[in-house]
Amino acid sequence: MAYLELEGISKSYGKTKVLDGVSLQIERGEALVVFGPSGCGKTVLLRLISGVLDPDDGDIRIDGQSVVDVGPEHRGVAMAFQNFALYPHLDAFENIASPLRARRFKDEEIKRRVHEIASLLRIDHVLDHTPRELSNGQKQRTSLARSLVHGPAVLMLDDPLRNVDAKLRYEMRLELPRVLKRYESTIIYVTQDYKEAMALGDRVGVLLEGNFHQVDKPTEVYGQPRDVRIANLFGDPPINLFPVRPERSGDGSLRASIGGTSVAMPAGRSDLAGKDCLIGVRPEDVEVHFDAVDQAIRAELDAVTPFNVRTVMLLKTSDETEILSSCPEDNTLETPRGRREVWAKIDMGKALYFDRATGTRL
Amino acid sequence: MASLTLENVTKVYRAKGQDLPAVKQLNMKIRDEEIIGLLGSSGCGKTSTLRMIAGFEDITEGTIRIGERAVNELRPATRNVAMAFEGYALYPPLKISDNIAFSLLRGRVPKADADKKVRMIAELLEIEDILERFPPNISGGQQQRVSLARALVRDADVHLLDEPMSQLEPQLRAVLRARIKDYIIQNHLTSVFVTHDQTEAVALADRIAVMSEGVLQQYGTPAELKETPRNVFIASFIGEPPMNLFDAEVVVEGASRRVQVLDHGGTATFAFSLPDEQEAPHTREALYNGRRIVLGIRPHRTSVGGTGSDDGAVAMTKGRVVSNQWLGDQTHLGVNIGGSFLIAVADRNVQAEEDSEIAIGLPVDALHFFDANTELAFLHGMRLAGV
Repeated sequence: MAYLELEGISKSYGKTKVLDGVSLQIERGEALVVFGPSGCGKTVLLRLISGVLDPDDGDIRIDGQSVVDVGPEHRGVAMAFQNFALYPHLDAFENIASPLRARRFKDEEIKRRVHEIASLLRIDHVLDHTPRELSNGQKQRTSLARSLVHGPAVLMLDDPLRNVDAKLRYEMRLELPRVLKRYESTIIYVTQDYKEAMALGDRVGVLLEGNFHQVDKPTEVYGQPRDVRIANLFGDPPINLFPVRPERSGDGSLRASIGGTSVAMPAGRSDLAGKDCLIGVRPEDVEVHFDAVDQAIRAELDAVTPFNVRTVMLLKTSDETEILSSCPEDNTLETPRGRREVWAKIDMGKALYFDRATGTRL
Repeated sequence: MASLTLENVTKVYRAKGQDLPAVKQLNMKIRDEEIIGLLGSSGCGKTSTLRMIAGFEDITEGTIRIGERAVNELRPATRNVAMAFEGYALYPPLKISDNIAFSLLRGRVPKADADKKVRMIAELLEIEDILERFPPNISGGQQQRVSLARALVRDADVHLLDEPMSQLEPQLRAVLRARIKDYIIQNHLTSVFVTHDQTEAVALADRIAVMSEGVLQQYGTPAELKETPRNVFIASFIGEPPMNLFDAEVVVEGASRRVQVLDHGGTATFAFSLPDEQEAPHTREALYNGRRIVLGIRPHRTSVGGTGSDDGAVAMTKGRVVSNQWLGDQTHLGVNIGGSFLIAVADRNVQAEEDSEIAIGLPVDALHFFDANTELAFLHGMRLAGV
């Protein structure tokens, strides 16, 4: 039995249905990331679980017990926010210790627990600093330590890395999973950043317009998205989408036209014949060649835009189809400025196929 | 369209009888048709610089030239610059299409030509479906694109863009950045854009001027900023994930030369040897015994998991995997090396369990050495910095 269960949760404000029959099961100790664009209902969902808001409909169960009628303070649910909100007059140690003191832990136990989490979060050397003396990164860690130190059964984190600088964001992204696992809390983590969702989630729930469109492992959400919207939200640069209708050619093979070039469909996809669909091709599956190659789409390279550790190229074919390609930075030649002719080779075996009318993956 | 020169440009604001310097002795040459990014955090002086070029701020000291003409005394309207404002500054009573066409028509461009240009730029920036609407009825992100469109369609010697793409939704960002870059190049525009976002600067600019506290820290191509950062600030500011930076110390024992890395408390964590054969006299001089340094390496220049040969070109060490995150097109790894935390990026799906031991290769030519006191770079790989 799942540890945290949502069953048919609905919540409306006036005529706006923010959540529409949401169901979700989270295992004990699991880290579930709720991912969605702003306005999708993420924050309302957290508030319902914490008990600050009541659902119009549906049930919330923790460890098999309905908590809908249980006050927020008795649910065993803790929440960490974007802002640090530390007590300014207490040093880092006492800030972290405050939930333990409130629960009347013994001094020795407090000391042990504070030092343990401080060392995990690498703030053990600043425990005697007041918030004013801490860097932003240290404040963030102190705040996180405080929400974890008493081992809440359920910990909800509302976009905690949204406003922190790049260095801290990456460090925390890489260190957080281990710290969270150590405390065995069941985690609900909200973010608008797909990379953060993939990095931190045991599973990712994609919340769109008041309901989960897919709840799955990160690799599945990226590689096997249920529909075209999800495919488009995961990936930067985003997936290329080409409207096509694959047809049988003279030799019996199934082919489709992308950017004015006939491309062979992979074997075993005869189901796509004559169907209006969208071919989804990730930019990393488009190889750009500066000399003619077989089975490639002829195009014009319009712009080269380096992107972090990769290089993104925008190609345009003779029929004005745009193709984004992304490759590791080290593999790119010093590409001259301005337009030039290139050949794009698409790995059709890795392409995704969607129904053009419904957006569902085929 | 024209070159742009800033000579000893200084801006001092006066408030409550106090002098607040915003830009200090800025010298920059911007070539005709170049795309320049002014990059820095808020308060670094980048926006003051842009506004001085546009003519919205007085220049306290120094000279700004567009082509050969000094423009210090010219009003904004007579400088022949086009500007996209961070606050958009659209005319609320005018339709979007009229907002974009406004300067064109005032500049006596025939109506039919102006219409054509408006349609073309609207299509490029994906705002063609809102041309008949009014500014208050479109989103902030759309207003920003309209403001950008209005500046880009104009004929001007210099185009100035203040945070032009900060509001772009992620799904549009990659393609619009590329289209704008292509448009600027095809139309031979000279452009200067201000941004706080290093990914945007690197994506668009031919050269980037990084500012901090009113001072130009480094001015170079994105590759130069990545491969030869002048100081620790530039090294940590450019690139994502950011460069790994460690406190370290040089240890010389006889003919061998080691780098001893320290944790934030000064305790030794891991060490590796530097190759002898690659050492020219200048590197031996720079790497003297006991020198306190900051050691840098970019996450994607480390090699992970490979067997790797410790052949001198690559220093090998071992670490413990803290986390292994596959993001679809790259792997991010957190590795604990004897107490130091290293971020590594690989462009493949790396198979490495958490808590397992993993080999880490640090290619010597990817190491950056900064002096611990001045934070200035003195070696990139085994090449002297600044040479």
